[in-house]
Amino acid sequence: MSSSRSSTKRAFPEAGLAALVDAAQRWLDGWIRRRGPIHPPLTLGYRQIYILPTRFGWLVGLLLFAMLLGSLNFNNNLGLFTTFLVSGIGLLSMHIAHRNLDGVRIAAVVPGQTFAGETLPLAITLQDTRGRARSGLVAEIRGADAADGSDLPSSASADLKISIATEERGWRELPRIRLRTRHPIGWFEAWSWFWPAQRVLVWPRPAEHAPPLATSGNSDDRSRTGDESDEFHGLRDWREGDPLHRIAWKASQRHQHLLARQFTRPERERIVLRLTDAPGRTLEERISIMTRWVLEADRCDLEYGLELGSANLPPGRGEAHRVSCLDALAALG
Amino acid sequence: MNQALSPSTVLLVVAAFVVAALPHLTAMPGWLALAIVAAAVWRALVALLDLPRPGWLVRSALTFGGLALVIMHYGTLWGRRAATVLLCVMVAAKLSEMFRLRDARVVATLGYFLIATQFLFSQQLLLFGYLLIGCALVTAALVRIQRDADKISPPADDGAPGGIRVARLARDGTLLMLMAIPFALVMFTLFPRLGSPLWGMPENALDGRTGLSDEMSPGTIADLFVDDSPAFRAEFDGLVPPREQLYWRGPVLWRFDGRTWSRLFYSNRAPERTPRPDRNAFAYSVQMEPSERRWLFALDYPVGAPADARLSADFELIRKRPVTTLISYDVISQPDFRDAPELQQTLRRIALHLPEGSNPRTRQRAEALRRRYPEDEALIDAVLEWFNQEEFFYSLETAPLGRHGADEFLFDLRVGYCEYYASAFVVLMRAAGIPARIVTGYQGGLWQPSDGYLLVRQSDAHAWAEVWLEGRGWTRVDPTAAVSPSRIEEGARSALSDSAGWFGTEWLYQLRNQYDRLQNLWNKSILGFDAQRQRDFLARIGLDGLSIGARAAVLVALAAIVLVPLVLLTQGLARWVRNTDRLDRAWQRVRRRLQRAGMRPGRGETPLELAARSTDSLANADELITLAEKYSALKYGPVGSLGEIARFDAESAGWRPYRLNPRRSKQSQ
Repeated sequence: MSSSRSSTKRAFPEAGLAALVDAAQRWLDGWIRRRGPIHPPLTLGYRQIYILPTRFGWLVGLLLFAMLLGSLNFNNNLGLFTTFLVSGIGLLSMHIAHRNLDGVRIAAVVPGQTFAGETLPLAITLQDTRGRARSGLVAEIRGADAADGSDLPSSASADLKISIATEERGWRELPRIRLRTRHPIGWFEAWSWFWPAQRVLVWPRPAEHAPPLATSGNSDDRSRTGDESDEFHGLRDWREGDPLHRIAWKASQRHQHLLARQFTRPERERIVLRLTDAPGRTLEERISIMTRWVLEADRCDLEYGLELGSANLPPGRGEAHRVSCLDALAALG
Repeated sequence: MNQALSPSTVLLVVAAFVVAALPHLTAMPGWLALAIVAAAVWRALVALLDLPRPGWLVRSALTFGGLALVIMHYGTLWGRRAATVLLCVMVAAKLSEMFRLRDARVVATLGYFLIATQFLFSQQLLLFGYLLIGCALVTAALVRIQRDADKISPPADDGAPGGIRVARLARDGTLLMLMAIPFALVMFTLFPRLGSPLWGMPENALDGRTGLSDEMSPGTIADLFVDDSPAFRAEFDGLVPPREQLYWRGPVLWRFDGRTWSRLFYSNRAPERTPRPDRNAFAYSVQMEPSERRWLFALDYPVGAPADARLSADFELIRKRPVTTLISYDVISQPDFRDAPELQQTLRRIALHLPEGSNPRTRQRAEALRRRYPEDEALIDAVLEWFNQEEFFYSLETAPLGRHGADEFLFDLRVGYCEYYASAFVVLMRAAGIPARIVTGYQGGLWQPSDGYLLVRQSDAHAWAEVWLEGRGWTRVDPTAAVSPSRIEEGARSALSDSAGWFGTEWLYQLRNQYDRLQNLWNKSILGFDAQRQRDFLARIGLDGLSIGARAAVLVALAAIVLVPLVLLTQGLARWVRNTDRLDRAWQRVRRRLQRAGMRPGRGETPLELAARSTDSLANADELITLAEKYSALKYGPVGSLGEIARFDAESAGWRPYRLNPRRSKQSQ
């Protein structure tokens, strides 16, 4: 009894704090939105660029203050000059950090594809609009590790790669992205926030253990030799009865005997994956197993179609078909 | 946050540290400096050869071992030298665990601090170069560390030889530092200075390189003679005293224990009477180099003490705090003055005291002289005559003296320099019943006519005697002048010129004198700039009388005015110099190759036109056309990606023009 009360007591301020932080976050977001355009494509200007010293910068500032006091006290003129020189370098680095972002165009945010539980790669296309080379641009998302930075040559474009952790399948909004730079010496950080105004579709997580593909009876991988309308398969020794135009004259020249061209018609499995066939208690479990089946079928190069109840996809093969199947599964329900 | 440092970053950080610590290294004991350099080299090798990292045991052994060694050697951590040496040792120990970006940043930033602390010891002109190079390197290291922190892959064309690569790394830092110089100058001039310090400097720099001490035993000034560094510089308003009057008075020594002369505590009282300046008085200002001592030097006899100092009964100038930085003071000296017409009995006893049983032969000699010359003046003249006529030599290379120092010197050795002569002379005087004392200080100096100042070096240190004569008071007698007039005429160098090459050849000496003129200018304009000079300067440009707030506003405005256009200018400049655009650079290369092959691009000719024209003369004109098309597309079309430009760069780098028919083109010319 008493323990539970104390635990609620402890939880109370934490919850309050979380709410406070949340409110502050919302207010900050709103403020940023009111300040100017925030959706790519956008060109960063002074309304979008924020700048503050980094923690390292504050420490250096402290050191400089100590150096200033010491030099002033002893009227040590070279010491004073050193202090002012380093302060000058610091102020310049602030200007440079700001100018490093000013005029950068965030042209597009191109999301990649991913399964839930994995990371979603994003490519942020940056362009320079001022004819200035930029250095050390890094994209960040709250709660994720900073990705590798990149340079941006003058009047050119570059892609920043960043990844977002995903948990659930389906449509999701892209979070606020922070483009920052600490160029040149890491004492000041200039940054801009922007929201990509687009949604991405996260594919369902493939089940780890799925029943084998329910293939139909005639699932032999044999091939029968076919005629010219089929694919060229290879050469074999010429046998009597083969038509003359099947003789590969050029190849035969290099051999002692005649060779004939052989054609095959590959026999492919054609299956239909049904949501109702997939085992599992919940819809998500079944979708997960369906996803695994799609991947399996694609890997075995089968011809497969989907029946999802609401949406059906005719059998097909290849990358595009796989993507549309996964998209259909992701958007289901 | 486990980010790796690239080897080139480590190299740059280590280089920045070594350069920043360089003057400190030369001042600390050799074995310690060697250990620090070894730590730096080892860290660089670890980065280059990917050696294993040291365990925590090694690291803490290095840290605490270094601490212990510094305490053992200096006996304290209090004091500038010990503290900065400790800082060097600790940063060197830090190198051993510098495997994270944060540590590298700490090491690099402390580089700035090391540079600033060096100026507590010396602010020579040459050290300004050290300041600039050091700051550029540290900044370059910080740039590199930030590149590593942002995980930016190094450019692919990094196959340049080591030297060029390091130069390229240092370039950004140097540019940044150069841009900051105007800002630093504005701040330097306008930032409000403190009129008086908030706290004192810890004493005992323990550097050994100190000025005159307040004790003297023959043989101790000798190391000052070989020290050619400036002691002070004097600028006279109006009258410049003749050379024989250039006796810069320092500590006055009364007590003698048979070996060492020392000061009298009683001398610290104020003088009973001070001279009144008249037309013959000299007014001058002295720029004094740090000496770690409290003595200020003035010609006989200072009329009063400058601020921060007081005048003692022996007309010594004693400063409240040791001279730890370059200082400047103004003095007026009145040469005609009778110092102590009456001598107190106590003082007379002290001025006649000799240790019991010492120097029997000198006493004998003194008694013999006394019998022959009852007059004090005549006796003194006889002694000087003796020094001058007999086989006495002036030389810095002599032997140390034993218990009966004056005896050994006057009757056996007869080779020595000012301390030997002054000491023996005063012993002889006292034995003869004439009150006498020793004055140490500097004598002479080098007149720099073009800049109108007198340069007094440590090597001008001198010791002379003062005897008290009835009716004349304390009177200066320089026995060294009797032996070696040239010592007084030309300075200590006259004794050195034939003995050793310490000072090098004549032209080197001249060069040093020329350098000192620069140093003097530097001292006056930069190092001598203080609260007073700042006020004067502000008054001259009409900015005096502003409130602190208005001054701050002016400061900020000027700083911004200096800073901002500079950023724009230099960035534009850098672009112009480097022709930043890799694309354009690649195309320029193609054009150069075409020119070498004899195809001059016409004025205003577009790349495509140029390529089209080349079909007549080039065998591989089709390739050139492709290149020109790609270039135009990348340059004028939608912005190309980094990869496309890089590909174009590589492609065009591999392209060479091949002439269609070299002979025909020759004929056509």
